[in-house]
Amino acid sequence: MKQSKTLYLFIIPGLFLYLLFFVYPTVNGLILSFTDWDGFSSKNWIGLENYKKMLVDDSIFMKALTNNLKFMLGVVIFQTLLSLGFSILLVKNSKSNIFFRALYFFPTILSSISVAFIWGFMYNPNVGVVNNVLGRIGLEALAQNWLGDPELALYSIVFVQVWAHTGQMLVIFVAGLQSIPEELYEAVYLDGATKWQAFKHVTWPMVTPAATIVVAYTTIQSFKAFDLIFALTGGGPVYSTEILSTYIYHTAFQSSEFGYAAAQSMGFMLIIAMITFGQFKLLKGNRAS
Amino acid sequence: MIFCNITICFEKEKGNFYHERRKGVSKRMKKLVNSASFVVILAMMAAGCGANSGSAGNGAESSNGGGSGEKQTTINFIHWRGEDVKIFDQLIEDFEKANPDIKVEMNVFPSEQYLANLQTKLMDGKYGDVFASYPGAQFETLSKAGLYEDLTGSEYIAAYSASLIEAGQKDGKQYALPYQLVYNQPVYNKGIFEKLGLTLPQDWDEFLALNEKLKQNGYIPIAFPGADIGPGQFINSMMMNNNTDEQIWAKVEKGEAKLTDEWFVKTLSQIKELADKGYFQKDSLGTNKDIAGSLFAQEKAAMLATGSYMMAGIKEQNPNISQGLLAPITVSRDKAVYEGIHTTTFMLGINAKSSKKEAAEKFIAFLSDKAVAERYANGTGQLVTIKDVQYSTPELQESAVWVDKKTRFQPRYLISDAKIEKAVTTSVQAVVSGMDPAKAAADAQKIVDQNVKKQ
Repeated sequence: MKQSKTLYLFIIPGLFLYLLFFVYPTVNGLILSFTDWDGFSSKNWIGLENYKKMLVDDSIFMKALTNNLKFMLGVVIFQTLLSLGFSILLVKNSKSNIFFRALYFFPTILSSISVAFIWGFMYNPNVGVVNNVLGRIGLEALAQNWLGDPELALYSIVFVQVWAHTGQMLVIFVAGLQSIPEELYEAVYLDGATKWQAFKHVTWPMVTPAATIVVAYTTIQSFKAFDLIFALTGGGPVYSTEILSTYIYHTAFQSSEFGYAAAQSMGFMLIIAMITFGQFKLLKGNRAS
Repeated sequence: MIFCNITICFEKEKGNFYHERRKGVSKRMKKLVNSASFVVILAMMAAGCGANSGSAGNGAESSNGGGSGEKQTTINFIHWRGEDVKIFDQLIEDFEKANPDIKVEMNVFPSEQYLANLQTKLMDGKYGDVFASYPGAQFETLSKAGLYEDLTGSEYIAAYSASLIEAGQKDGKQYALPYQLVYNQPVYNKGIFEKLGLTLPQDWDEFLALNEKLKQNGYIPIAFPGADIGPGQFINSMMMNNNTDEQIWAKVEKGEAKLTDEWFVKTLSQIKELADKGYFQKDSLGTNKDIAGSLFAQEKAAMLATGSYMMAGIKEQNPNISQGLLAPITVSRDKAVYEGIHTTTFMLGINAKSSKKEAAEKFIAFLSDKAVAERYANGTGQLVTIKDVQYSTPELQESAVWVDKKTRFQPRYLISDAKIEKAVTTSVQAVVSGMDPAKAAADAQKIVDQNVKKQ
């Protein structure tokens, strides 16, 4: 059968959008990263100065990177484990399970800014619900300065991120679990396997593709938690919640260092690519074994 | 069975003939797509590398923004004060009545993202014919970019107090006119002070004693919004007498002075002392200005570590509250030079790229009129820099008294590098969280050192 050349025209809109919204900004950003542009004046070529500054002369960039990695680890681990755990409990399509799945999914449909405003108020040490409830149930000792303590603020935001997105990952895991053939479980149980052995030898290998998606998506989501952190703490106190995206924003729009911010963005892109690649390799290897 | 994808179309019955032919076609198409993408990318790189051409809007005035036959000029006025919109709407209405050929379109952006929005709006000349800006780093950035029209010699400048419009000057020229006058020092509850027989402190020991008495009587001595504006506001009055050199921040930015010097470490130590003695509300770093303001308005806190700009809003929350301004004196009485901190802000400027400068000037001239400024001041609860304005509210009258006192221009606004400014305010957060002042100063100096190199 002769392939019509007209078919190739169908890729043009997608290609155009890809070039316009990804390739062009990326290439433009790369060029900007070699300049000292402040957003107003002319762009002067300064070579690798911005990259050198980023890697050697900017302690806040390193702090933001460390915070981002801590944030990512916390979110990936807890979100994945919680969503997997909930999905195992809620995999059957009973009415109550469907209700709970919908309930856990509900925070996902809220915008990050709404979530930030709600939790910002809840976490308030003077008038917030969290400390108030802890006080009323006799757990006043657990009341903290959730967003004002530099040692605690980042993990308080990890909790909010996990709360907001576990439902979304739950749906992916449920779909993965429901696709596992019942016969496999029948077979292992006939062989005398325990529930843990059934999970280890049937559930986990079969749900690894879903887990790969969840881990990769959660990783990227955690690097993109700009709006949540910006609205909750702005990167403070004492840079304790400054992550790469908020720092890039501050560099560009508060310090008017667009060239340097572009270099940071390139570094950011590379870091996410390396982490995501590493995760795929790890999970692919796990699946193969 | 037929299997197809973009590059290979394989027809089982026809065998390799079509497979090879399709391979040839798909190889050519792949080359074509790759070459086209490459050319497009090259074109984008060339466009990106090319010099920016200036935007249109130089010189000639346009009398309208649209079709032929319209005589009205529309100018765009940008600022960040959402709380002033109601008053500005009234003033704009009056301006338009007096100038039927000019229409004013007002846009307000939140202060946190104001610079980010302002940058994009001003550059093409179509927006921000008249715009407000902050003094200090923002003024430096915008004037460096040539975005202010030179207002030197304009008639309406004579309406302003000469000493209060210096923040909008650079190299002997007047680029912006500060419209508002604020005092960035703590607000205090006169009623609580009178009840406890407290007088305004004249030195550091008296200030500590005042705080202790307030605490003993069940009040939060100082409501400190550590989550947002508190550090940046409070540092000013705390350092004003510890280092009276007006050039100190310029010296720090050049590397000629350091944050690890005695004056700054002392300032941080004194802030830490207030926090350690429990004179701030619990968990102050988690409190923003709205919550801190509420604590003050509810009369749970006796002082509010912000500035005079909060007084009108506090009065709305609690009409019975009686407010005044004070500043902590951090040295002994004989060494105190300054009594408080002032800032001249909300600096009105004309966009140098605007094509409607004449209309923009008329609007600024209108706002500079004494009667108009008086309406603005009494309507918004803000002091203004226009001469001889009569204030009608008790808060404004209380604040206006400070015009005759020896106050210092807000030192924090003299820091031109935003990263250094942030390092300074972060060091205040650090000591309130418990860090040793010397360490907090050293950490801030590290950031200063990283940014001094580039200057």
